[in-house]
Amino acid sequence: MANSERVATAAHLHVALRRKAGRVTDTDWMAENDDYAREVVRVARDKAREDGDAQLADLASKLEALLPTGAQLASPSVPPLAQRASRNLRESNAPGAGDAERYIGGLR
Amino acid sequence: MKMHNTLGWMGLAAALMALPVWVQAQHMVGFDEIRGADTAWVLVSAALVLLMTLPGVALFYAGMVRGKNVLNTLAAVLGAACVVSVVWFAVGYSLAFTPGNRWLGGLERIWFAGLDYQLAAQQLSVSHMAVHIPEAAYALFQLTFAIITAALIVGAVVERMRFGALMLFMALWSLCVYVPVAHWVWEPGGWLARMGALDFAGGAVVHVNAGAAGLACACYLGKRTGYGREAFQPYNLGWTMLGACLLWVGWFGFNGGSALSADGRAALAMVVTHLAAAGGAIGWAAGEWMFRRRVSLLGLCSGLVAGLVAVTPAAGFVDMGSGLLIGAMAGLVCYWGATGFKRWLGADDSLDVFGVHGLGGMVGSILTGVFVSSTISGASGNLLAQTVAVVAVAVYSFVATCVLMWLTDRVTPVRVELHDEQQGLDITQHREHVGQ
Repeated sequence: MANSERVATAAHLHVALRRKAGRVTDTDWMAENDDYAREVVRVARDKAREDGDAQLADLASKLEALLPTGAQLASPSVPPLAQRASRNLRESNAPGAGDAERYIGGLR
Repeated sequence: MKMHNTLGWMGLAAALMALPVWVQAQHMVGFDEIRGADTAWVLVSAALVLLMTLPGVALFYAGMVRGKNVLNTLAAVLGAACVVSVVWFAVGYSLAFTPGNRWLGGLERIWFAGLDYQLAAQQLSVSHMAVHIPEAAYALFQLTFAIITAALIVGAVVERMRFGALMLFMALWSLCVYVPVAHWVWEPGGWLARMGALDFAGGAVVHVNAGAAGLACACYLGKRTGYGREAFQPYNLGWTMLGACLLWVGWFGFNGGSALSADGRAALAMVVTHLAAAGGAIGWAAGEWMFRRRVSLLGLCSGLVAGLVAVTPAAGFVDMGSGLLIGAMAGLVCYWGATGFKRWLGADDSLDVFGVHGLGGMVGSILTGVFVSSTISGASGNLLAQTVAVVAVAVYSFVATCVLMWLTDRVTPVRVELHDEQQGLDITQHREHVGQ
C-alpha cells in the first residue's frame, strides 16, 4: 500500500513539475530509487521556493515523507572521499598481502 | 705441472726469460696458417660474451633493484664495459696474456702493440696462446671476459655507490685484480696454471674473483639504508628473466668459445653448459620447494645462472652427466648462499654476487677436480690444485678489492649521501628517471 501511495505521489509530482517547471521526470524510477526521488524532491522544492508555489512544495514534502529515513537505510555509510583516496593509495603502493616480508633483508 | 728439483726450476726460469723474445720475434704468421672456422667461432663467441654483459647482466640486475635505481644500475654496467675496454687496450691484455713471470705478464702488447695485420706481406700476428687464430680475435675474446667480470661486481654495490667512484674503481680493479688472476690461471707460466689448476672458461678467474670482490665492496660500503627493515621491491623481474636468458644463450660463447676452436670440444662444452643451466634452475627450485613450498621466477633465473657459473671451469673437461650434476648441486648450494648463508654473513651484497657467482664458482672449481675426464681433455683431476686456486683467488680478490675501495675513497667518496640514496640514484647521479 505504501508503495502504491508512493507511485501515486510520484505521478502527481511528475505532472506538477512538467506543468510548472517544464521538467520531465521518470515516475517509475522515482517510485523505486530513493536517491532519485530525493533529487526530484530537491528540484521541486527549489522551484516551489522560487515561484512561491505552495502546491508544488506540498507534493515534494509528501513524497519525501514516503522515503525511508537514515535509520532505515540498508546500505553502509560511505567514508569521506579523502579517506577513501588515502586508503587506495596506501594499498596500491604496498606489496601484496602475501609479500609483506618477501623482500626484507634479501631478494631470494 | 710441478717442478720437483732445482735443475727443473732453473730450466723453466731460462725458458720463461727467453719466451718474451721468442714471442716478439715469432708472432707473425702467414694468412694460410689461420683457421677460418676457428676464427669465425671465436669472433662470434666474443660477440656472445659481450651480449651477456650488454644487455644480459644489465637487465638481470636492473630488474632486481628498486625503481628509483634502475637507470643507475644500467649505466653502471655500461660504464664498466667502457672503462674496462680502455684499460684492457692500454695495458691489461699485455699484463695478462704475455709470458712475463709467474705473477704478471710483460709490456710487449701495451696499446695492442704487435697486433699487426699486413696485407702486402700476407701476414698477421697471433698469440702464443692460440696460434691458429688472429691475435686480434683472441685479445677481443679475452676482453669480453674482463668486461663481464667487472660488470658482475656492480650487483654488490647497487643503490648506494657513487657513479664516478665506481668507474674509477672498475679501472683500478680490472688492472690490479682481474689481470693478475687471469695471468695466474690461464697463462701457461702463471703459478696456478703450473700447479695444475684447471679452469676452462673462468670459474675462478671470473666468478670466484667477482664474487669475492663483490663481497669486499659490500662490506666496505656498508648496508643500504633500511636494509633488513624495509621491503626492497624489485622493479621488474621480467627484465631479470630477459637478462638471465641472454646470459644462458651468451654462455654458449663463454664456454664454447673457450675451446678456441670450432670443433667437438666446443660442441661438448656447449651441451654441458646447457645441461648445467637446466640443472641449476631445477636445483634451486628444489631448494625453494623444500623450504618455502613455492617456486619463484627469480629462483629459476638465479638457479640457471648458478648452474652456468659452476660449470664454467668444468665445461671442457667433464661429460654431460657430470655437467648436469654440477649444475644441480650449484643450484642448491647457491640457494643456500643467497638465503641462509647470506643472513649469517650479515653483509648487504645487494644482488647476491657472492652467493651466486662466488659460491657457484667455488663449487664448480672444486667439482672440476672431481669430475674431470682424462678421455675428454687429457687432463687429470687435482683437488689440491683446485682448492689452492679457489682460495688464492678469493683471498687475493677480497683483500685487494678492500684496498682499492679504500684508495678510491681517498680520491672521491664512494658512497652516496643519505638523502641521495633515499631519493634514488637515477635522479641524484644522472638526473634521469625511468618512465612510469
